[in-house]
Formats: sequence, C-alpha cells, structure tokens
Amino acid sequence: MAIRRIEGDLWELPREGRMKVPGRLYSVGPPAPDDPSLTQVRNVAHLPGILRFSLAMPDIHWGYGFPIGGVAAVDLDDGAVSPGGVGYDINCGVRVVTTALPAADLRPHLHAAATRIYQQVPAGVGASRAIPRLSARELDEVLEAGAGWAVRRGYAAAGDDAERCEEGGRLEGADPGAVSERARERGADQVGTLGSGNHFLELDRVDEVHDPAAAEAFGLVEGQVAIQIHSGSRGLGYQVCDEALAELTPRFAGFGPDYAALPDRQLACAPVSSPQGRRYLGAMQAAANFAFANRQVMTGLAVRALGEALGLSDRDLGARLLYDVCHNVAKVEEHLVDGRPRRVLVHRKGATRAFGPGDERVPAPYRALGQPVLVPGDMGRCSWVLAGTERAMADTFGSSCHGAGRLLSRGEALRRARGRSITRELEARGIVVLARGKKTVAEEMSDAYKDVSDVVEVMARAGITRPVARLVPLAVIKG
Amino acid sequence: MLTLPQPFEDLGHTADLGVRVRGATAGEALARLALALGALLAGGGPVTPAAEVRIAVGGGPGLSGTAVALLRELLFRFAAHGLIPAAVEVLRVDEAGAEAVVRSGRYDPALHGEGADVKAVTWHLARLEPEGEGWVAQVILDV
Repeated sequence: MAIRRIEGDLWELPREGRMKVPGRLYSVGPPAPDDPSLTQVRNVAHLPGILRFSLAMPDIHWGYGFPIGGVAAVDLDDGAVSPGGVGYDINCGVRVVTTALPAADLRPHLHAAATRIYQQVPAGVGASRAIPRLSARELDEVLEAGAGWAVRRGYAAAGDDAERCEEGGRLEGADPGAVSERARERGADQVGTLGSGNHFLELDRVDEVHDPAAAEAFGLVEGQVAIQIHSGSRGLGYQVCDEALAELTPRFAGFGPDYAALPDRQLACAPVSSPQGRRYLGAMQAAANFAFANRQVMTGLAVRALGEALGLSDRDLGARLLYDVCHNVAKVEEHLVDGRPRRVLVHRKGATRAFGPGDERVPAPYRALGQPVLVPGDMGRCSWVLAGTERAMADTFGSSCHGAGRLLSRGEALRRARGRSITRELEARGIVVLARGKKTVAEEMSDAYKDVSDVVEVMARAGITRPVARLVPLAVIKG
Repeated sequence: MLTLPQPFEDLGHTADLGVRVRGATAGEALARLALALGALLAGGGPVTPAAEVRIAVGGGPGLSGTAVALLRELLFRFAAHGLIPAAVEVLRVDEAGAEAVVRSGRYDPALHGEGADVKAVTWHLARLEPEGEGWVAQVILDV
C-alpha cells in the first residue's frame, strides 16, 4: 500500500482506483503498511459525497467497515450516511465531573466510596434496573430529550449539566417513532447502566495542569477528585444500528454505481436525503439522546453515592459536570470547505469533536478557550483533558482522538495476562479495581493499549488539540 | 444436533472478536458458528439446554448474509431474553435464508459472568463458503 509522509506525524494514502479522496492519517510512529485499519481508511474514501479526506486519528485501530478513529464528512445534498460509520454503540461517549474534594481526603475512604458507587451503578453484561423500567411514554421522552430528561428528574451533578454537554445533551431531529420495538425491548431497563467491555466509571485525581487558564475555566484543580464515565446507548443503540445495516446491506448497491462500488458491505449506506437515510438519522439521533440520558443518570447516581460514602453535602462535594463528548456519531455541522461554509454530515467513529476558540457551538464558559476534549486512557496510566483549536477546524472537520487505541486483540491480552492478577498489580499501585469479571480486567489491561499520552502528543504537535490537564486513576469500576 | 463446546478459532481482531469455524457441510459450519457465539456469551460457564425452538430467518446477500442473519437473531434472543444457544441443528441454509432448531440455556450472572458483552454481529469479513474438502464460516462480533 502506498503511504507518503505529508509532515510530522501526518501521512497520506494517495487516491487510487475508485477512491474519491485521499486518506489522511495522524500516526504514532510510521504506519505499518500491512495494518488492516489502513485498508479501512482507504475503503471509507470510497463513500459517496465524501469531502477532502478519509481521516484517521492517532488512536486508529482495526474496526469493522470504518476504522476505529475514523472521521468522514460528506456533502448533505449528494453524500451518504453510513450506520457503520457511527457504529453499533451510538453516542458511546465520555464525561468528566469535577469536584471540590481533595484526593488526599478521599484516599482513606477510597475503597468504601468506590464500592458504594459500584452498588449504585449497575455494570456488566445485560446490566439493568438502575432506575425503574421506563414506560413506553417515558422512553419516548428520553429519546426526544436526552440528558435534560435525567436532569429534570434529579439525576445530576448540578442543574446546568445538560448545557455542559456536546449539543446541549440532545441531538435535534430525533424520531422516537423510528426506533423499533426490538430496540426498545433491549433498552427500556438499561438507562443508567454502565455495560461491559471498555466502558468504565473512574474516580480520578487531577494530576498535572498544562494550561492553567483553560484548567481554571474547566474547573480542574491539581490534587482534586474528578469522576469520569464512559458508556453509550446500550442495547437500544446496538439494535438501531443493527437493523439499519440489515435493511441497507442487501440494497445499497441499488442507490447507484458509487454505492455498488463500495469495497466492504459493512460500509452499507444510503443517500442522506433518501427515506432510508432520513429514517436512520432520526433513529440514530434518538439513540444518541438515550446515551446522553444514560450517562446523565449514572452521573446523578455516582455523585450521590460519593457524597453519601464520605458524609458530604452536595455543597461540600462541589460536583460539576465539566463536559460530555460523543465518540460514535454522525452530525450535521457547518464547516469551511474550500473556503466556503458548507453544511456537512460528519461521521466520527471513535473520534471526538474538538471545536476551536470562539465557536458558538462551544458552551459560553469555555468559548474563549476551545471546546473541552475528553480523552480516556487505559485504567493503569492516565486520561487527558484537552482543548480544541482553530487548526482542528481547518484540518480535521473539528475532530481529534478519542482514546488510547487498542494494540492487542482481546485473546492476545488474555494470553499475556495468564498467571497474573491485573487487579492486584493495580492495587499495588494504589488503584482500586471493582469489576464483575476477571476476564474483562485482563482484556482491558494497560498492555493492551497504546500509551494515551503518545496519542495526545501527536494531536498536540499537529496543533489539533491542546493539552489542558492529566488525570490519573484512583478507582476503576468495570463491567 | 451439535452441542457446546465446539471448536472455533480466534481471528485476533484488535478491537472486537473474530471467530472462524469449519464443518463438513454449510449447515454444520453454520451450527458451529452459532455455538461459537454461545460459547463467547457463556464465558466458559456451563449451559444447560432447556427450551427448544425452531428459528427461521431470511437470508442474503450471499450465504454469508444468511449466516449473519441467523446469528443476529440468536444475539437478540440473548439480549432480550437471556437465552444462550447451547445446541444447534441447521435444517436448511441457502441464500434465501436458514432454518434451525436451537436449544438454549438461560444466562446466569453467577455462571456466565466472564461472558463477552457482544453488541452485534457485523458483516465485515463475514464468510460461509466452501474451502478445501469442507466449509468455512466466520464473523466479526462487535464487543
């Protein structure tokens, strides 16, 4: 496969065959030509209506259809929406809640506090019943209102939580009627649940501030505790994506020769303006709102549990949502393309929006500094809070990395963990781990991931995002 | 009727789980693929087959599309009703669809807590096709 260096850590996969645009890849070290995720970057470059580049962030790894870490913007009029370009876990995302609690005050009560949260936030395969099962009408409200639904029911760090989410915690255009009975069946009792795999809830310590002005605006103070939550739309979102792909896979070639030429069935897609495309977008937006509400309910449960465990009032705990970002989503956004403002549909599959300073879509308290970009690492090293830049707007449709990126398959991680207790290793370093199963902990161990600091550094060198603060884990809750 | 456990290979997919199985016929390969899903959901815990149902799904595109369709249906039954496929006999498989008799056991967190949280069955690299003297089937599962 032909690869050429553009500058620094930025590489190009030149346009060949029926690719509509070149691929562009930010990479930790030179990319390996036999990496299957590079083929996926090239495949995405075949999408009808794709603009400028098929992009990949430095946490890229092998996905299905799209690579994880892929970004593709398409023209709204003649472009395609790809459910696989969003992924099954629609609006899988992450949020950080800051507190006024010094980590030193938490340390003596760390295990008890983590245990209390673990008891309140259901985790693991098929976790359910964090809150009473929703009626059909309540579920419609969740699908329509997103995070605000949960805030109004008291599940919040503070009353303005929803305003501190990407898109205000609610995607416009959601169509609850497009969400099937099967999707509802999978999701009705999963609001407020963590799930399994790479989802987690962490108690972190703000370890190092790199940008004092931004950290102050974001509420990040060295030595204080933050809560980090990573989860998505649970079974409801998986089913929405699954059904859209099942509908489109046998039919997408009928949309025209560009569709018929797509090199992977998992890229099955429909014109944005077609009835199939609009129906998927309405269902996807509803599932995204379900994910916002899911993380919001968990926020309320975790903040309450932490306060109860430490005997602190809400005021003394001082919990405040910093921000909530989507990792798997397609959104209509305005961007400059060839010097002209255009409304485009940006697919981010394992990537984070990273809008720069001055953008009206960034909440007012952060607008002068750039959007907070939350990048979780693995459970043994660290996570980062970054800020979006103007360069991101110019080069990546306002997008950055979303995590560390896997290095090892789950099977290989299990083989390397054989004979070790990852939980005990982490506990020896002062990190409390609570998990339903040992296997998930082994699959998710640090060795299975790139070092997130390397990934963040690539984005910083390219000017895409600016490091604000580093968080280190104190306690990790896994499914 | 094939029952758990049946042999399967791990494709070493980086983010998700890829499995490949072999069989003397398309039906046998597909039954083993369904049981590979069952094994991953059970996480090594025992599954006692109880309820037996006949499942019919529409298929395509291609035989691999039919394989994906049957596994999608089994995964939905697991997600919505906690049913793990433990014994499978494929009665018919072609591009139009598949029909199978499936005996399932109920998910028990105490027994199956190490099971994979399979979100979906993908079409990426899906196969059900002749290879050598027999048949090969594979899927990538999103976890």
